[in-house]
Amino acid sequence: MDSLLEIRGARREFVTPEGDRIAALDGVDLDVGAKEFVTLLGPSGCGKTTLLRAISGFEALDGGTIRLGGADLTALPPFRRPLNTVFQSYALFGHMTVARNVGYALEVAGVPKRRREAEVAEALDKVGLSGMGARRPGQLSGGQRQRVALARAIVAKPRLLLLDEPLSALDRNLRQQMQIELKTLQDRLGIAFVFVTHDQEEALTMSDRIVVMRAGRIEQIGAPRDIYRRPRNRFVAEFIGETNLFPVTVDRVEGPTALARTAEGVELLLPAAGRKPGEAITAILRPTDFTLADKGIPGTVRSAVYLGSDLHLFVAPAAGGPEIRVTARDGQAAETGAAVHLAHDPARVHVLEGG
Amino acid sequence: MRNPWGWAALTGFSLLFFVFIYAPLFVIVGYSFNSNPVNMMIWERFTLDWYTGLFGLTERVMDPNSRAAYIESTDQMIAALKTSLTVAAFTTTIATVLGTATAIALARYRFRLRGFYNGFLMLPMMMPDIVLGIGLLIFFVTLGMQLSMLTIVIGHCTFLTSYVFIIVQARIAGIDPALEEASADLGASEWVTLRKVLLPQLAPGILGGALLAFVISMDDLVITYFISGTGDTTLPVFIFGMIRRGVKPEINAIATLIILASVVIAAAGLWLRSRKTD
Repeated sequence: MDSLLEIRGARREFVTPEGDRIAALDGVDLDVGAKEFVTLLGPSGCGKTTLLRAISGFEALDGGTIRLGGADLTALPPFRRPLNTVFQSYALFGHMTVARNVGYALEVAGVPKRRREAEVAEALDKVGLSGMGARRPGQLSGGQRQRVALARAIVAKPRLLLLDEPLSALDRNLRQQMQIELKTLQDRLGIAFVFVTHDQEEALTMSDRIVVMRAGRIEQIGAPRDIYRRPRNRFVAEFIGETNLFPVTVDRVEGPTALARTAEGVELLLPAAGRKPGEAITAILRPTDFTLADKGIPGTVRSAVYLGSDLHLFVAPAAGGPEIRVTARDGQAAETGAAVHLAHDPARVHVLEGG
Repeated sequence: MRNPWGWAALTGFSLLFFVFIYAPLFVIVGYSFNSNPVNMMIWERFTLDWYTGLFGLTERVMDPNSRAAYIESTDQMIAALKTSLTVAAFTTTIATVLGTATAIALARYRFRLRGFYNGFLMLPMMMPDIVLGIGLLIFFVTLGMQLSMLTIVIGHCTFLTSYVFIIVQARIAGIDPALEEASADLGASEWVTLRKVLLPQLAPGILGGALLAFVISMDDLVITYFISGTGDTTLPVFIFGMIRRGVKPEINAIATLIILASVVIAAAGLWLRSRKTD
């Protein structure tokens, strides 16, 4: 794949008031394809916003390079970089009309008025705000302001759009609607999006690839399914979705399946490939990987949380150890205190090497 | 439910408050129309003599022993008003530019001695006027500068820059720095961003600061008294000179005209602001 954006060895250090040096970016390499939707995901302070601001030019790098379409951007000031940003606060100019906000990039570039008006109308149309040009940002709802910010950022037809948690100020319903619209818009425009969020659900919904970051480093890059089903380490496994982690020792291998046991004696089946008796590994199972059955891990339901379409159970294994999170369908008999058995498909188990 | 007695007490208190601050002004306005030239506190009858006297219209017909002597000369008063307006115009322009530039620099850039500047800009405002006035006088004399309109303008700028700075700084603190980043992100250089985004956003603060600077410059007596030369008297200094020979009815008329001008300026300011926001 041809990459549009190439980041190599990006480093950025901050000095705390106490004089400690903290690496906000600790040697980051990242490639983004020309029509790719890439999400930077991680807890606050992981460096995702610093990385985005380094790409837009608001944060200077202490080391490394950033190239866009082969051209080196590293030393360019923000206003010379051919990419645009949707800011978390939208940053709309309150003293200008919506149309002038949207046309700002063209106005600054000296595009003649008539062509500017046509392109502003086109951009407003793309975000579903046709005819709103004469209003002021202060007269719009949060969702409409979000769209104006989006139209303003795409009017100059950049090849790369950066989005800094743009949906965090919207309520849940509107946010889900905007997630789909953003993805559709990105497909239609055929440009690359780099999207920053701390919301893993948002990342899973929209992204072609997710970049999981922690403490200035990239922990894993992959498609949403890969990140969810095959996390590379405990951090990724626990950050994305709900997870059950079992530190187990492989007991024996029988044909295609291996039997492994936790220290407390909870037994799990997992794929035999590459497993040797006696080795210590971590088995990962998502709450949806368990089903309530006649056989399997015996346990007692400690609490049941009703979530509408399904039921969230916390099951204490009879053998002991941490409670297991299980998603059961509504209607299955699973009240607090009930004795249940948890079955699972060995193929669904993801294994992390090491205990 | 509101307590009716508490409500009545609050209304009464508010009324008293307004009487307290506005009564002196109404007294002056009332006296300015009283024809009694000897004791203005005793109402005789309505007259516009003190106003026409100000403009020199009745000068020729007046008794040389009484009214004509109160106003030293209409020309002098008009000259003092012109001086005041000229000084206020130059001072307002200079102080607004300096104060705004300083506020932007301190809010948006990091440089050495930043905190020091911040504190030091407050000082001329807190300094007693008389100290500032004497200090400026000694300073100008030491430099060998002739006291003139120029020294008044310089003197006023020293403390009015601080006033503009404080007001613009308060405004800039409420502006999201992301606005300037968005402008840069959309291709605008720092200069274009200043012109198209930051200054329009700051406009109400700059306008407010300029208005305040103008009014204070017009109004200042103590500092100006020290640094104005014999030829360039401002209106407050001129009025102060008249009062020293006793409070004359014409002074009430001048005061009333100044009140009227202030009300007109304040109303214009409010009207401009209300137009801005919708």
